[in-house]
Amino acid sequence: MTHQPTSKQFKANARAALSNEMVQTAMGKVGGGFVGKRAAARAEVPEFDALRDAARDVKNHTLANLDLYLERYEAQVQASGGHVHWAETAEDARDIILGIVAEAARSEDGKAIVNKGKSMVSEEVALNPALEEAGHKVVETDLGEYIIQLRGEIPSHIIAPAVHVTKEQVEREFREAHPQFDADRTFPDAASLVREARTVLREKYFEADVGITGANMLIAETGQSVIVTNEGNGDLTQSLGRVHVVIASLEKVVPTLDDAATVMRVLARSATGQPVTVYTTFSRGPKRAEDPDGPEEYHVVLLDNGRTNMLSGEFQDMLRCIRCGACMNHCPVYQSVGGHAYGWVYPGPMGAVLTPSLIGVEEGGQLPNASTFCGRCEAVCPMRIPLPRMMRSWREREFEKHLTPSATRYGLGLWAYFAKRPSLYQFATRWAVWKMKLFAGRKNRMSWLPFAGGWTAHRDFPAPEGKTFQQIWAERKR
Amino acid sequence: MSARDRILAAASSKLGDAKSRKAAVDARLGAGRQPSLKPEIALTDGAERVERFIAQAEAVQATVSRHAAVSELPAALSDQLRNRNLPQAVRAGSEPDFAGLDWGGVEVSHGKGRVDEPATLSRAFCAAAETGTLALTSGPENPVTLTFLGETHFVVLKASEIEAGYEGVWDRFRKSGRDPRTLNLVTGPSRTADIEQKLELGAHGPVALHIFLVND
Ligand code: SF4
Repeated sequence: MTHQPTSKQFKANARAALSNEMVQTAMGKVGGGFVGKRAAARAEVPEFDALRDAARDVKNHTLANLDLYLERYEAQVQASGGHVHWAETAEDARDIILGIVAEAARSEDGKAIVNKGKSMVSEEVALNPALEEAGHKVVETDLGEYIIQLRGEIPSHIIAPAVHVTKEQVEREFREAHPQFDADRTFPDAASLVREARTVLREKYFEADVGITGANMLIAETGQSVIVTNEGNGDLTQSLGRVHVVIASLEKVVPTLDDAATVMRVLARSATGQPVTVYTTFSRGPKRAEDPDGPEEYHVVLLDNGRTNMLSGEFQDMLRCIRCGACMNHCPVYQSVGGHAYGWVYPGPMGAVLTPSLIGVEEGGQLPNASTFCGRCEAVCPMRIPLPRMMRSWREREFEKHLTPSATRYGLGLWAYFAKRPSLYQFATRWAVWKMKLFAGRKNRMSWLPFAGGWTAHRDFPAPEGKTFQQIWAERKR
Repeated sequence: MSARDRILAAASSKLGDAKSRKAAVDARLGAGRQPSLKPEIALTDGAERVERFIAQAEAVQATVSRHAAVSELPAALSDQLRNRNLPQAVRAGSEPDFAGLDWGGVEVSHGKGRVDEPATLSRAFCAAAETGTLALTSGPENPVTLTFLGETHFVVLKASEIEAGYEGVWDRFRKSGRDPRTLNLVTGPSRTADIEQKLELGAHGPVALHIFLVND
């Protein structure tokens, strides 16, 4: 699995992705769907922007008191019979979980079967390779994650991890991975693939020693961890394993159930355009004495990994992120190069800000250049995170540190790189360009870029009329 | 110093004096709970509320049938199973509301979910009309695995249990004094779009979700 960051080589990665037909075919199928669905979902709730404000305020208040809410959350988990483990670094998180898993293993050789629900934080700490190295068997149960696990990849999108994979590629993987089935079987449609994965994974849920899930929220009031899913795999993972481990980063905490409702109202609408996902599950502690099902142990691993450092600073706003993926769904750069070009687990605009915050500007400092500054990411972000502003801050820092490869200094190379691809560039500039004045004010440094005019500063984008994002995109491509 | 203490100290050093902040936090976690902003869709009442619940549930491929009383359930369940070409059998928990019913020809087995469960039956705790969402609580009455392992999941809900929005569900939950391991919000049958963004029902959980909505 490629967990070693390659963010430094964003430009090379992007170039490779742009000329990779498979990536381009798969990405061509993405954009329009999410963009149109979000717009429609938003249109059904006239108060949507007020809800975004409310969600932003919930998180700002929580972050300003993060220590206190974490203490209350911990006390509530302990009161339910659960355990809270604190991990300062990715390595700490891995060690803690390796310890829990080793304890939980039932087989004589001490090796465990570990099922996993989808968790970006587990990708962040590179948990799977660590578990596998220790000899445990890891099964990703989210269909998209299962597919990329078979392919030995990391997710290319935070909510649609296998978005870069075509149906034909999935078919090939399944034929190889599932020799128990008739080799002559056909897969006429996606449904037949879903059914096969369902059959294979159903058995696996019952074999697991440990079920690991992420958390979309942690609720201080009740000590519950919350997962938001559509497939139901996270629930089978946590309810059928003997031990349930939740891995979550610190900033997932919200004060109360009411605050959770505010986040729920913007999360799925922004992510997939659903009013709410199929399953929103609030879990507290291990199974009760009288319960016929559920795990015997409940552990929460709270990961810091650089987040407390972001508090009260220029990048604190990024900690409001609820990982909805809207920013990448609306990003012309992401849409053309796909998630893997970003070289680490968090792609798109949110990744461009978060990656240098978490693994350092030396590793991730190239990513904030992966922007046309069209401003769509901020315009759609449910948490109103000023992504372009923060990307600019990183660029300035990187510039000051002289980390920018010389060829890209002054020319802000990646911008130029994208600008030279007229289809991409024109598309991006059709949309609002966020605070372009900033650049106009810089001694004409950018004046050669054909940004002369015609753009307006929309704060948000209406539902696509006439042609969809995808159609326009397809027509403009190459 | 433990990792816990170091992390909390790092946060506190950035956030400033905890003592001055504590009162506001305690208030928000207690009686001074910040009321959430309720959109129009979370403010329905009466018949409109029930209609919204049904419309929203159906919009996400759940099916709903209405019944005058709980006593109608056995016949309704039998019909549903027949129409769906399922065997006349269902798995359920020890839900007291089902205890007095004569299930006739439908074989009702009790306990947690097994690998193969063609049909399961649960009793909802309540619901939110806002998004057509059922709320269930885990326990021996309604084992949580039945919600996820049933190929077809049947859920019984009373019309009076439909709240306008999520806040109504939380209020009921707090007042009930229940402390289940899981509180499950369920909106339609399981689905995935992980293969080329094509929506498919029945990813890992139920392929179908049917709600018996009982007047009371
Ligand atoms: S930055 Fe905003 S839009 Fe992007 S994933 Fe986070 S919350 Fe969603």
